[in-house]
Amino acid sequence: MKNLKITSVLIILAMISGFNVSAQLTGLQIIEKVYNRPTGNDQSSNLTMTLINAQGKQRVRKLTQYLTDNGTLEKKIMFFTAPADVKGTSFMNWSYSNGKPDDQWIYLPALKKIKRISSDSKGDYFMGSDFTYDDLGDRHPSQDTHKLLREETVNGVKCYVVQSIPKDEDYMYSKTITWINKATFIGVKKEFYDEDGDLLKIMHVNSSKKINGIIVVTKITMQNKQKNHKTIMSLSNVKINSGIPETKFTERMMMRGI
Amino acid sequence: MKKISIILIFSVFILTGQAQNADFSGFVRNYTGVLYKTGDLSILQNTFNLDVSKTGQKIGFKVNPMLYHYWSDSLDLRLREVYLDLYFKNFDVRVGKQQIVWGKADGVFITDVVSPLNLEEFLLPDFDEIRTGVEAVKLDYYIGNNTLEAIWIPQFTPTEAPKPGSIWYIQPHFPAPATFDWSKSSITPSLKNSEAFVKYTALTSAVDFEIMGGYTWDANPTMHVQKEFAVNLQTHQPYLAGLNITPEHHRLYLAGGSFSTQIAGFVLRGEGAYYNGKYFQTEDPTAVDALSQNDFLHYLLGLDFNIGKVKLSTQFVQETILNYNDLIVNPEFQNTMTFLARYDTQDDLLHFELFSYIGLTDTDALIRPKITYDFDDSFSILLGSNIFVGDRDGRFGQYQDNSMIYMKLKYSF
Repeated sequence: MKNLKITSVLIILAMISGFNVSAQLTGLQIIEKVYNRPTGNDQSSNLTMTLINAQGKQRVRKLTQYLTDNGTLEKKIMFFTAPADVKGTSFMNWSYSNGKPDDQWIYLPALKKIKRISSDSKGDYFMGSDFTYDDLGDRHPSQDTHKLLREETVNGVKCYVVQSIPKDEDYMYSKTITWINKATFIGVKKEFYDEDGDLLKIMHVNSSKKINGIIVVTKITMQNKQKNHKTIMSLSNVKINSGIPETKFTERMMMRGI
Repeated sequence: MKKISIILIFSVFILTGQAQNADFSGFVRNYTGVLYKTGDLSILQNTFNLDVSKTGQKIGFKVNPMLYHYWSDSLDLRLREVYLDLYFKNFDVRVGKQQIVWGKADGVFITDVVSPLNLEEFLLPDFDEIRTGVEAVKLDYYIGNNTLEAIWIPQFTPTEAPKPGSIWYIQPHFPAPATFDWSKSSITPSLKNSEAFVKYTALTSAVDFEIMGGYTWDANPTMHVQKEFAVNLQTHQPYLAGLNITPEHHRLYLAGGSFSTQIAGFVLRGEGAYYNGKYFQTEDPTAVDALSQNDFLHYLLGLDFNIGKVKLSTQFVQETILNYNDLIVNPEFQNTMTFLARYDTQDDLLHFELFSYIGLTDTDALIRPKITYDFDDSFSILLGSNIFVGDRDGRFGQYQDNSMIYMKLKYSF
C-alpha cells in the first residue's frame, strides 16, 4: 500500500515535471528545435512557383533543385527549366554554419560563363516571386531575439506563437511571428512585418508529407498583403537521402545542366 | 533558291531534333534602330534563333542556327554552334563548332580570345551574338571542383570587321595612294597552322580563378606597309608616292589569368593577359614594313556591389605596350572604364539598365541606357539607346554620327 502511494506520487510528479518541461520552453528553444529538425543529408525535388498578381494573372517558374548538408556546409544547386528565357540558367549556393557569408554563383547560358555573385542581396525577391532569397534559406536562431507570445490552435493544430525580432536593425523585416506545430516543430504560418512595423506578408504551409522518415513541406503560399500579390510554391518528385554525389555541386554540372 | 535551302536546313534541324526527343528553344526578334542625327534607319533586322539540344548520360548535342533577315530582304544564316558532347566519368569532350567563353570580365575581351568576335556592328550586339563559333575539339578534365581544359582549333577564324558601306566602317586615311595585297590575309587550315589553348579553373569558397595560355594567331591582321618614293622633278626632293599594304595574321603567344572573390558583400574581379610579340604600326622610317614588334599587357580590375535594390558594377581596363617608343602610332597606355547599373522592379517585369564604356585616354564614351518590359514569360519589349560622345579620334567618339535609339521586340519559346 505504501509502495503504491509512493508510485502514485512519483507518477504525478513525473507528469507535473513533464508539463513543466513543456511549459518552460522559451521562444529561442522552440526556434532552435525548428532549426535543428532533421531534414536529411540530401534532398532533390522539382519546384514550381506560381506567381499571381492583383488581377489574377499567373506566371509560372519551374526548376529542379538538389541539396546536400554535411552539418557544417550546405550546398544547393538549382537548374531553371521554365520560362523559356531563363531555361538553362543554373544557380549554386554554399551556406556555412559558422556564419561565413554564403558563396553564390550563377550560370547564364547566353553568356556561357559562371559568375560569382554577391550574397549581400538576400533581401532581393527570388525570380519575381514573393519569397526573398533569405526567406528560402535557413535563418540561424542566433540572428534574432525570440519570445514565446502564446499558444494557439490553427486549423486544428496546436501551435506555439513565437515572435522573432532581428538583432540587425537594418534587416528587411522589423519582426516575424511564427506559428509552430507543437508536435512536429514545423512552422505552419508566418507573418512578416516591414520596417515600419506594418504587416507585409503572410506565409501559409498548405501541405507536408513524410518521406524516408523526414517531414517535408510540399506546398507553401506566400501572400504580400501590401501589393495583393501571392506566390504558391509546390514541390514534387521529392527524394530524401538518395545519395546525391558531391560532384553534383560543381562548375561542370552548372554548365551541363540537369 | 537560297531561301529554299535555308527552309530545308531548318526542316532537317527540326526533324532531327524531334527524332531524338530533343529540347527546342529559341526566340524570334525584331530589332529596329534610328540614327539621331539623320533619322535614317541604322538597322532593321528580324532574327529567328533555334536551339535544338539534348543532354543524355553519355552523349549530348546542340545545333544552334540563327537566321537574320535585313530590310534589303537579304537573308543571313549562321550556325552559331553545332557540336557533339561525349561524357565520361572524369572528363568531357566537345567536338564541333562551338562558342568558348573565358575570363571574368564583362564586355571586355582579355583572356576571352578563343572565340573570335563579329564586330560588323561594333560592340553593339548582345554578347552571346558578338562571339562567333570556332571549329574545335575541347577536352575538360575534372578534378573535384577544378577543371583542366585543353582546346585544339584546326582552322583559324579571324575577327569579322565592318565592311565598306556599313555605318561602322571607318575609311582609313593614307598619306599616299594605297594598294592592297590580300594574298597573305588568310591562313590555310593545317596541323601546322592550328591553334591550341589550355586553361586551369578552380572554384573555391575563398576565390575562383583561371590560369590560361594560348598559341594562337592575332585575330586582327597586321598591316605590312611598304613605301614607294619618287623624286619631284621640280624640287628634286624625294616624296612618298604610294603605299603597298599587305594584311597578314601573325602568331601570338599569350598567358594570363583571372579571379573573382567576395569581400564584405563586394565581388572583386580581376583579369590579365600578356601577349608576346604583337605587331604595332610605327612611324620609324627605319622599321621594316612600318612595324614594331612589342609585348603587350591587357588587364582589368572590377567591382560588383549593390546599393539598395540597384546592382552596380564598374571595371578599370588598361592596355599597355611594353618597351614603348614615341614613334609607335598607338598610345603606350589605353585606359578605359566600364560602368553598369541595373534595377529590376514591378515583380521583376520592368528592368532598367545603364552600361557605359568610358575612354579615359581619348575622353570619349559609349553610353547604353535601356528599359525592358516583360509582358509575360515569353514576350518582351526593349527600348534603348546607343550614344557615342567625345573625341572623334577615339575608339567610341569616332562613331558620334551613329548615335541611335532602338527597339527590340522578342518572343522566346
